[in-house]
Amino acid sequence: MKKIKNWLLIFAGCIAAQAVSAQSRPPLSIDINYSIAQPLGSLKDYTDKTSFRGWSAGLSYMLNDRLSVGVRSGYQDFYERIPRAVYPDKQGDVSAVQSRTLQVIPLQATVGYAFTPATSAVIPYGVLGVGAANMNYEKYWGEFVEKKNSWQFMVSPEVGINVPFGRYSPVMFNANVRYNYSPYKYNDITNYNTVQANVGIKVHIH
Amino acid sequence: MKRTMYLLSAVAALVAMMSISSCRKDPLKDMTDEESRIYITNHDNTADFKSYTTFSIVDSVVVLSRNSDSAKKALTTYDKQLIASVTAAMKQRGYTQVDKSAKPDLGINLTRIDNSYTSINWNPGWWGGPGYWDAGWWGYPGGGWYWPSYYTVYQVNEKQTAIDLFDLKNAKNDKFNVVWNALWRGSGVWNTSNVDPMVQASFAQSAYLSKSK
Repeated sequence: MKKIKNWLLIFAGCIAAQAVSAQSRPPLSIDINYSIAQPLGSLKDYTDKTSFRGWSAGLSYMLNDRLSVGVRSGYQDFYERIPRAVYPDKQGDVSAVQSRTLQVIPLQATVGYAFTPATSAVIPYGVLGVGAANMNYEKYWGEFVEKKNSWQFMVSPEVGINVPFGRYSPVMFNANVRYNYSPYKYNDITNYNTVQANVGIKVHIH
Repeated sequence: MKRTMYLLSAVAALVAMMSISSCRKDPLKDMTDEESRIYITNHDNTADFKSYTTFSIVDSVVVLSRNSDSAKKALTTYDKQLIASVTAAMKQRGYTQVDKSAKPDLGINLTRIDNSYTSINWNPGWWGGPGYWDAGWWGYPGGGWYWPSYYTVYQVNEKQTAIDLFDLKNAKNDKFNVVWNALWRGSGVWNTSNVDPMVQASFAQSAYLSKSK
């Protein structure tokens, strides 16, 4: 809670600073986004439902007008409940209502490139994130859970736009689309594929 | 335009923060007792269910609990319902109920397993212990149960109910094979009103268990 308060203070401070009119943006920026993700491929067979429970946050540093490097993390929760069905299993035939869940926490290093100068009204950009993701697989058979927590490689290309709230504003509206791939294999999941839409704010803080 | 952008960003950031604080959907939170239950059935692939004609069922239900070394036999409303439902289901599948003295082809044992029973062995484990029906009860004094190897081990730490169907017709050296088994786990497996649907579900997923099929 205190952390959130601090962030709010930082946001408020940045917006205030912007009013004083900054000449150019400080290189270090932070972004926080709300995320929606749609499972694809075998993940879709496991849980078909679009996830509206997610967020993404990152820190990036402008090396020059166009190129940036950074780190980012986030969270996405996938969930689907399948009505009662009989599953042939090594233990016999099991009749159960399955609640299939997967929680994903990526941890990635990023390289970004802005397609227009920092002074543009709209700045389209591309980012490539490479790293690992913590996969928390929990499949409930009735009230009994079958779970596995593991780390797996994950790569996530992203394209998006930043819209500054003014020519030199350090505060920008951010919207992007990201594709996530991970060679994650467990039970019914043979790889992890999602398309993720993010919307949020990016603030140059330092 | 600018104002809309501000608003959008603020809303997105807010939603993101909210989703941080309540980030996961809890599968157990909105789960009904019915949804919480699982019914596991297993059978001997080599058994020919058409070859059996008669069956006999125990007259009470054995209760195994952690707090007691020996099994206890009980005949509560639940147990009566369980005996009646299983008997009805067997008859529906074309088998004839007979007294155990009439040498039935199939025997049926019923077991309730109480919370946190320490034995993790699904295996003969609870059979033949003090208080349980021994092989002698079924007309094979000194005999024993034989569980085919496909029965895997379960951790028993809740309330469960088990139905075990075994072959008395082809007993070898006073040992008989368990040819079918049903195990119920989850919330409400010991509720009398759930017995019938649980028996129905167990038989429904075991179409091979029939005199005619």
